[in-house]
Amino acid sequence: MTVEDQNLAAKAADGDVQAFAQLVHGYSGLVYRVAVRILNTREAQDASQEVWIRVWRNIRKFRGESAFSTWLYKITVNTCLSVLRKEQAREAREVSDELTYLPVNISIEDDPETAALAAERRGELLHALEYVRAEHRAALVLRHMEGLSYAEVAQILEVPEGTAKGWVSRGRASLLVALSRQPGEGSR
Amino acid sequence: MNGSNHWETLEKIGAYAASELSPEEAREVEQTILEDPEALRMAESYLRMIALMGVIGEESPEVPQAVIDYALRQAALSAFFRQAESFFAGVGRAYLDAFVYYLHLRLPGAAGQGI
Repeated sequence: MTVEDQNLAAKAADGDVQAFAQLVHGYSGLVYRVAVRILNTREAQDASQEVWIRVWRNIRKFRGESAFSTWLYKITVNTCLSVLRKEQAREAREVSDELTYLPVNISIEDDPETAALAAERRGELLHALEYVRAEHRAALVLRHMEGLSYAEVAQILEVPEGTAKGWVSRGRASLLVALSRQPGEGSR
Repeated sequence: MNGSNHWETLEKIGAYAASELSPEEAREVEQTILEDPEALRMAESYLRMIALMGVIGEESPEVPQAVIDYALRQAALSAFFRQAESFFAGVGRAYLDAFVYYLHLRLPGAAGQGI
């Protein structure tokens, strides 16, 4: 945690709106991109707003024991998971553990850099993420998109490191299967 | 392989593609990949998927201004009400102290010591 963040958080806890505004401007990107990836663009805006309200209300509880970003990740992920839990209907669409076949022909593109440039591929992957169980999805986003260590993922998700590893592993497998089931994937 | 074994293999190859296996485990998976073309294709798919996730992770979607505006507006409103609450509580206490003093219920300077 930077000293500056700690000072800003302390000031915001005392009701300093300017200090809070600096935190919002500095970290709104982190909150929004995580929300977009765990949820989707439509829900991410509402969730991001909810995250900042929770931050403002609870910033007095932030003691600086972890980095401000870690604390913020935790609030963001918890908010997104709350949104997902409300969507009971989605449960039925989750990828089952009992697979009838294994995906073998997911052609995202031969060259990863080319794939990166293809908006269609990105859209497919983000869409496929919706079929991954919420906790696994969050773990996957934190590990493979945010580039966090397993220790950090575990701290944010408040689970043992072994559980975090398991969630990432299952999330990866579920995402691969979900990608293979998208229309048109099998024929490429 | 049954469904459970399929899933186990799938996860193992995923961990291999993410370079998260020990050297010994990695050699084991490499052996499987060499022997089974399906496992090889699976590993390739994982590699592409993980690379794509990494690239997506490096992108920064533009934050809607509405998110920032809403957060700051709510904080400002909340701070205003906190200050107003504190102000009126202070005024109320001052009036109460004055009233107590006026009725000679407490001597000046004897704060907190009612009769």
